[in-house]
Amino acid sequence: MSMGAGMQTRTARPSTYTPAPGHRFNVGDRVVVKRSFPPGHRRTPYYIRGKQGVIERICGAFPNPEELAYGFDGEPPKVLYRVRFPQKHVWPHYGGPAHDIIEMEIYEHWLEPAADTQQDI
Amino acid sequence: MSDKPINKGPHDMGGEPAGPIDPIDHGMKFWERQANALRSTLSAKKIVRVDELRRAAEDLGDLYHDLAYFERTTAALRTILLEKGLITEQELEAKMAEVRARFNVPKAVSKPARKAGHG
Amino acid sequence: MSAHTPFDYYARREHAHDHPHGAPSSDDDEGPPSEYEVMSRAMQELLEAKGVVTAEEIRRRMETFEEDFPYRGSRVIARAWVDAEFRKRLLEDGKAACAEMGIDLEADRLIAVENTPDVHNVIVCTLCSCYPRALLGMPPTWYKSSNYRSRVVYEPRAVLREFGTVLPEHVTVRVHDSNADMRYVVIPMRPAGTEGWSEEALASIATRDTLVGVTVPRAE
Repeated sequence: MSMGAGMQTRTARPSTYTPAPGHRFNVGDRVVVKRSFPPGHRRTPYYIRGKQGVIERICGAFPNPEELAYGFDGEPPKVLYRVRFPQKHVWPHYGGPAHDIIEMEIYEHWLEPAADTQQDI
Repeated sequence: MSDKPINKGPHDMGGEPAGPIDPIDHGMKFWERQANALRSTLSAKKIVRVDELRRAAEDLGDLYHDLAYFERTTAALRTILLEKGLITEQELEAKMAEVRARFNVPKAVSKPARKAGHG
Repeated sequence: MSAHTPFDYYARREHAHDHPHGAPSSDDDEGPPSEYEVMSRAMQELLEAKGVVTAEEIRRRMETFEEDFPYRGSRVIARAWVDAEFRKRLLEDGKAACAEMGIDLEADRLIAVENTPDVHNVIVCTLCSCYPRALLGMPPTWYKSSNYRSRVVYEPRAVLREFGTVLPEHVTVRVHDSNADMRYVVIPMRPAGTEGWSEEALASIATRDTLVGVTVPRAE
């Protein structure tokens, strides 16, 4: 049964996740965070822009915080993913072992598919 | 070419050089716990959105790093309440004067120095 | 439930509480209220006068943060330690698993991440201070500090050492930047020497810092 994000009844099972119909990416897809630096409220940290990672999970679809921040309703919801990045690809001088990773949530509109020639994850 | 990263907010600090961490939890003062309860109540009642409060904090500019955490959140809440017309500047000034008088506080109170990086 | 002293809305100074689990009260503010304390009280009083909030709502919310939230996370982790099927459900859907235990995380959407002999997890919110408040209570001062927020993403091992946690090179350090709608809790490894312990005893060693990932639990 599909329900709108704000329409759960009290008897609905609480869940961490919401449905994400029409999600563009799947778990395991290689993606790049847009190398873009617009002003305003963004939940994509500066340090991850332009970095390549792998979709770790699909969290669901949520009202866009970039609009909520200015008093708008953020609808329609945007798909949110968790993306995994090797630390060595995020920080040029990362001092830890090559297998260390960092993960965070990135909205779909901040992601593009990684080109085949880009670095291995 | 300028070294300043374009459109990087003061809050967006992952990766910045910084000092040692004080690993002790210094807890919260009474007024901070009350301020937190106020924020949480307003948010639960959907009177303000946490996204709005975050944005208002991010827009503090240089003040962001000068203020301690709950000072920032208070400044941010002030911005949003004014923006939504829930309070006016005049009302706030008057009420603040009343609160100060209740505690016998002079208008300008110098704050103790705070160690950078721990706020 | 502990006995309550009468709530004095106008009190400037908190009582000297003993907080065995939750955050300590900070009583080092000897001087008059700061400008921001004055501002916060003024805003609250204005909103009360306008009927937007009531003093009772604020009081109850303070109590919930003090008496309820800080104790929940340890219980959930202790349950995960003793019940493998619960642990699986916690890993699949943190919010639903907590609901099984009667723990309502309200707006928080929880992702539990587990430590293994090969992976150590640590949580941060670089952009502000997102934290599973309905599970763990208020974040500690270090979690909100700019030094932690800045450094743990690019030098997590050095940061963990500042908390006394040293990880071998073969262990993967997995940092989670809690930057959007999800909130995180670490399921630490259950320490050796706790065989046969009750859930209550286990909860007492699953301390807040271990659930954020800066320390590991010890069987004391």
